[in-house]
Order: sequence, then structure tokens, then C-alpha cells
Amino acid sequence: MLQTEQEYIRILRSRLEGTLPHDELDDILSDYTEHFRIGKANGRSEEELFCSLGSPEDVAREIRATHFVKKAEDTRSCRNIFHAVLATLGLGLFNLVFVLIPFILLVVLLFVVFILGIVFTVLGPVAFIYSVLQIAGIPAFAIWLSPAAGVFFSIGITSFGLLLVLGDYYLAKFFYRIGIRYLKWNIGVISGTECVT
Amino acid sequence: MSTDKQKPASSSCIACGLRFRGISATRIILWLGAITLVSFAIGFCILALSGNFPPTPGHDLTPFRQGSTLVPNTTTVPLDGATVGDVQLTLGAGDLTLQGSAPDDALMEATIFSQAAEWQPELVQTTNASRKFVTLIEKGHKGKEWFAVDSPNRWDIDLNNKIPLRLDVTVGAGDTLVSLGSLNLESLAVHTGAGDTTVDLGGYHGGRFDAVIKNGVGDLTLRIPKDSNTRIQVHNGIGDISDDHGLVQHDDTYMTDGFNTSLAVNEITLNQGVGSISLETV
Repeated sequence: MLQTEQEYIRILRSRLEGTLPHDELDDILSDYTEHFRIGKANGRSEEELFCSLGSPEDVAREIRATHFVKKAEDTRSCRNIFHAVLATLGLGLFNLVFVLIPFILLVVLLFVVFILGIVFTVLGPVAFIYSVLQIAGIPAFAIWLSPAAGVFFSIGITSFGLLLVLGDYYLAKFFYRIGIRYLKWNIGVISGTECVT
Repeated sequence: MSTDKQKPASSSCIACGLRFRGISATRIILWLGAITLVSFAIGFCILALSGNFPPTPGHDLTPFRQGSTLVPNTTTVPLDGATVGDVQLTLGAGDLTLQGSAPDDALMEATIFSQAAEWQPELVQTTNASRKFVTLIEKGHKGKEWFAVDSPNRWDIDLNNKIPLRLDVTVGAGDTLVSLGSLNLESLAVHTGAGDTTVDLGGYHGGRFDAVIKNGVGDLTLRIPKDSNTRIQVHNGIGDISDDHGLVQHDDTYMTDGFNTSLAVNEITLNQGVGSISLETV
């Protein structure tokens, strides 16, 4: 049970230290101090203020999630989006279903498309060599119904593979953008605000 | 109470658009898409021209050959009272092994290993008086070679040892092993396109014959009996000629030791394009 405003601020600081830059952390803590000051000036007790803000642990988790999502939005990288997802998971167990599972499915999808792209890109030239050897009349390499068609199919397979790899890159960018929006919406719903900026 | 006061993020490689030597990724994707579509369209057009598209019942829509197991199919051609044989073998692509071990009452016994039933060769046999004609030809070899041949076939052919034979062998691509030592030849013609060819006449004691052996690309080995009266005329393009010193050489002509024109002479003409020629006496 919290006793004082100082204790609240101390817990908040301890939970956020190491996550946020010092200046940002100081800004946030001063905002909370100000919030207490104004609340008290308006005649509200510390208990009422604690109740309206929520526990410092919950507030710290929310701030962490918002911070990491913002960071992932500003600097796109696998590491940042991974941290953002982990931080969002901390907001509630139900996010295992609403965040973690969709995230894993998307990662698997992107990985599979990438691997398929690589496989096609590599197999295309191999199939092309088989076509040429089949045209040269070497029976061991006769895999195509028609070696002439095989030449064109090989080219098609290679370019399709490259297309998959490139497409995977843009698909990843698209999912990244959608994912950030979804995480922000998720945090907003949990924190009870319509929009988290 | 917001975390908006972060410093502007530094740009990363992922954030910036892909560009390759000034060409935008969008253009590259469009080109790749176009190449993919056009390539597959041309591929299916060629399949259609070669009769493989649309797919027939029992065959899926695939540009690849189906079934990897070689299925043997043996056919026996009876003599039907003929005393002379005329055998013509035409294999588009594949390996041919020919020898003289057919049953006495058969002119030919052919075992065909083919990956697909439709690649089984066409057999035509006719009899004219005492001469029996047999033609075994790979169906895909007729016309449209570039589109539908090259089935990975293997033919094992056994011929009759007793009756005189005119033998004409054509192999487009593949290794050819012709063991004729036990046969009785009237004439021999071997035409091969690409692949190694071995014509083995070791132990031959049949009648005299004229032979023409033409090999396009690949090594050619000719094996003849030491005690035969044989003359070999060699026309070679690019490649070495080697012999085991069992033959007497005069320019492009090689003769067996003790060659005598007053006796029955086996005349062999060798035409080699690219590849080595090996002449052996046994």
C-alpha cells in the first residue's frame, strides 16, 4: 500500500530507469510531480490521486510500451519492433493472444516467403543448366518435358524468386507500419485513451 | 506525460527505399514481374507446340517429366522364315547397347527402358521374300526434335547371330555400345550425334561387310579382330587417333597385320567430328 507521493515517484523512477533516457525520465517524473501538486491544490487526497493514476508499476509498463513503440516507429529495425512487442506484452496476459500470436504468424510468413524466394532464385539457374544440358542431349539431365520450354521456365523461376525476395522486403515494411499502428491502438485501449501520441 | 520528446530517429537502410544503380525498386519489380509472366507464357506456348499442353488425362499440368522409374518393355521380332535381316534403329537420345544374343528363331529382341509409356519407340516390321525388315524408331525423333525429344531412354537390343544382317544404327545423343563380334554382317552403318561410341567387332567371324561409322561429338572406340582382313579409312576432325600397334598405318588408312586385298576385305570408314578415336585389335 502506497503511503506517499515520494514513494509513488520513487517506484516509477526505479521501474523506468535504464529504459528511458535520463532527460526524458526526468520530464515524465516532473509531470507526475506536477500532477500531484495540482491535485492536492484542488483538495484531492493522495489516495484519490493514487487511485486515479493507477499503480506505479502499471504506469511504468504503459510508459515503457509507449516508449518502445515510438522508438520502433522512428527507427525501423527488427530489434526495435521486437522490443515494442515485448513491452506491449507486459501490459496484460491477453496480449499473448492479441499481440504475440499475430506477431509470430507474420514473422513466420515473412520468413517463409523469403526462403521460398531464395530457393526459387537458386533453383532457376540450376534448372537453366539442366535445360541446356538436356538440349545438348545428355539424358541424365532430362527433367523437362521440353528443354526449350525449360529454358524459359528457368528464367521465369529465377525472376519469380527475385520477385518474392523483393516482395518480402516490401511486405515486411507494410506489416511493420500496420504493426506499429496496431500496437499503438492496443496501448491506447489498455490505458483507456482513444489515442496515444 | 508523454514520451514524445525523443530525439529524431536516425535513418536506417531499411527505412530508405531500395535503389540499385539509380533504378527504383518499383521499376525492378515491374520488370521482374514482366519477365516472369513472359517467360512462363513462352514456356507454356512451347509445351503446347510440342503437344504437352494442355495436360492429358493422367498427366498433371507440369513442365517436368513425370515418373523417374525406368520401365522396361521387351519386344521380340520373330524371323518368320526370313534368312536375311535388315535392321534399322533410330534413337533420338539415350543409351544404346547392341549385341548378338537373340534367340535363334528371332531376328531381334529389344528391351526398352523408358521413363514414360509415350516414349516407347515405334516398331515396324515387314517381310519381302526371304528378307525381313525391322525398323525401331523413337517416335519423338520424327519432326519437332527440338521440342519433344531427349527422352532418357535406354535400349538393349539383341540380334540374331546366324543370319546375315544389314544394320543401320542412329543415335542422336547418348552413349552407344555396339558389340557385333558374334553377328554375321552384310553391312553396317552407325551414326551418332553426341556421346561416346564403341563399336566392338572382337571375335567377328561372319561374312565380309562394309561399314560406315560416323560420330559427331564424343570419343569413338573401334575394336576389330587381329586375324581379320580389315581396312579402316579414317576421316577425323578435331581429336587424336590412337591405336594399340596392332594395325599397319598408311596415311589415314589402317590395316590389320597381313592385310591382303585378294581376300575378302572388311572395309570400314570412320568419320569423326570432335573427339578422340581409339583403334584396338583383339
